[in-house]
Amino acid sequence: MGIVIILLMLAGVGLMLTRKLPTAFALVLLAVAIAAVVGAPLTGENSIVDTVLQEGAVAQAATMLAVLIGSWMGKLMAETGIASTLVRKIVEFGGDRPTVVALGVLAVSALIGTVTGSAPAAMMAGIIGIPAMVAVGVPKTTAAGTILMGIAAGMPFELPIWQFFSTTLDLPVDTVRGFMLKLFPFAAAFAVLFVLVETRRKGVEHAWSLAAPAHDRRRDRARQLGDAPWYALLAPLVPLVLALGFELAIIPSMLAGVLYALVTTTRPREMNKRLLRTLYRAFDIAAPPIALFVAIGILLAAVTLPGAVEALNPLVTAVSPGHPVVFVVVFALLTPLCLYRGPLNVFGLGAGIAGVLISAGIYPAVAVLGLTASYNQVFGVADPTSTQTVWAAQYSGVSPQQVMVRTLPYVWCVALGGLIVTAATQL
Amino acid sequence: MTGTTGDTLATLGRLSPAVREALRTECARLADEDDAEFGVRLLAGTPTHEGRDPALLRRWATAATEFGAGLTGRARLPQPRVVERTGGIERLLLARYVSRPAPAVELFTDTLALGEELVDLLGWRGWYPAGALRAAAMAHEDAHRLLHDDAALKRALRERLGHTALRFGRFRIAAHVAGADELAAHGYAAARRGLGRSPLLLTAALASAVRALAQD
Repeated sequence: MGIVIILLMLAGVGLMLTRKLPTAFALVLLAVAIAAVVGAPLTGENSIVDTVLQEGAVAQAATMLAVLIGSWMGKLMAETGIASTLVRKIVEFGGDRPTVVALGVLAVSALIGTVTGSAPAAMMAGIIGIPAMVAVGVPKTTAAGTILMGIAAGMPFELPIWQFFSTTLDLPVDTVRGFMLKLFPFAAAFAVLFVLVETRRKGVEHAWSLAAPAHDRRRDRARQLGDAPWYALLAPLVPLVLALGFELAIIPSMLAGVLYALVTTTRPREMNKRLLRTLYRAFDIAAPPIALFVAIGILLAAVTLPGAVEALNPLVTAVSPGHPVVFVVVFALLTPLCLYRGPLNVFGLGAGIAGVLISAGIYPAVAVLGLTASYNQVFGVADPTSTQTVWAAQYSGVSPQQVMVRTLPYVWCVALGGLIVTAATQL
Repeated sequence: MTGTTGDTLATLGRLSPAVREALRTECARLADEDDAEFGVRLLAGTPTHEGRDPALLRRWATAATEFGAGLTGRARLPQPRVVERTGGIERLLLARYVSRPAPAVELFTDTLALGEELVDLLGWRGWYPAGALRAAAMAHEDAHRLLHDDAALKRALRERLGHTALRFGRFRIAAHVAGADELAAHGYAAARRGLGRSPLLLTAALASAVRALAQD
């Protein structure tokens, strides 16, 4: 039976890779198929309808809300000029030194990456940041990579990610926070190293171009808004300080960030309108990840059914390395399997595999956290099919594959660092 | 005349009379603009200048162009490695300076040839003598090398523009104005090669020609 489940998973990966089905639909289909082959009843306890579809669909509710509020705050930061002002100030201070500008944009991207992820984060930092870097001579691929590495450096502090791992792996938020604090130095160090090495290795480029300046609706919007006041620029730090410093719960911390961004940029009579407008627009941004989290919840519910655990346990036990050194070597070598929506992508089948590893008792949940969070650092930057990578590459005028080749060595090292920490502390 | 130039002549020659006439009209309209206006447009389209007063952009454009023109008296840089390429029209590039692996100026010969032909078509030889575009491209990239290698020069450009990033009493940090170095490079190229009009006018006309070719 375990073999059948593995074959179903491979078929699911095939459907996702060949884009025959969107990832979310493929995961739901896979979940129902797994539940059916392990003999789950249609209704009742541990059933397809009540357990997999009903309970699974809402299992990630807290994550979905955190993603929505993160998108809301991101939308607010874009609309009020907070994000564009941050980038503009960086360019004005460091402008004729490409490395300084790139480091500044990296820092702003990291700050934005703590609030929200995916393409909206890349857009917030990149709409102005990418052309600004190119204007001072940073090569295009380096510019796109800088935005992505920056967002990934902020990712260990992205509160919706904490919520996701906490719910998915059934771990307290404190435990997730503890590991993320250990992962952050690797993400930050290799992000800085990327900028330092790549700006030095690739030097500067200045082109006499015939291209007319691009018109972008967001930039037109920024034209109307002007600069945000300096104290509003602290908005991305508010949720972070509350959640990290004061150990406040994730959703209230993020709501406080939304309120801070609002009151520091908006006249009282316009507040209601802006708050509602940005909230409604945030639903558009948050829709794709929310659909994915519904599907991940359903898949997790299927792979943790007693029948599935029983079937997969011997197989997974046989292939999972137990020795810490082998654990690091094997999972480091498998890192590319999280690219191209591969089986180790934690926002896809990887979540199901994580569920199997925990429910079968192969590794402690916190070790699986280390594994999946480390892979997430790679996927978030170098996967040519992830929306932020596609957007940053295309906006820079290069291909997502060029960005992957340039950034992969650095994020692979980040993952290796995370795996070493995991093996050293949890195995 | 090189083979590439001949090819491009044939390419522009393929424009229908109506499209060619429309191109002439559009370029005549561009020529009616004053040179500073092209600088304003370049700055206005450069990120970080959203919402800036056009009068301020004009002042910066003029100052940066004059700064570039003033660099012509400086000692000449050693001749860089020159790499000739095609594919510039497709990529909308005329020339490019790269500092690594070794400083080099890439000249896109198809775009240069198109530029030369366009100058003839528009009767702009008085402003842009034969071969001036290639020479201007070299000079333009020279200016980037000058600015890239000399921190004092970059500081002087910032001071000339007079934009402030931070003021604390008497303490002031001059702000970088994105796009100003590009205008300085164009100013340097125009002055060094004795062009009658800004290279930015020809750049705008070339962009129109490429659009016309794509449409026709």
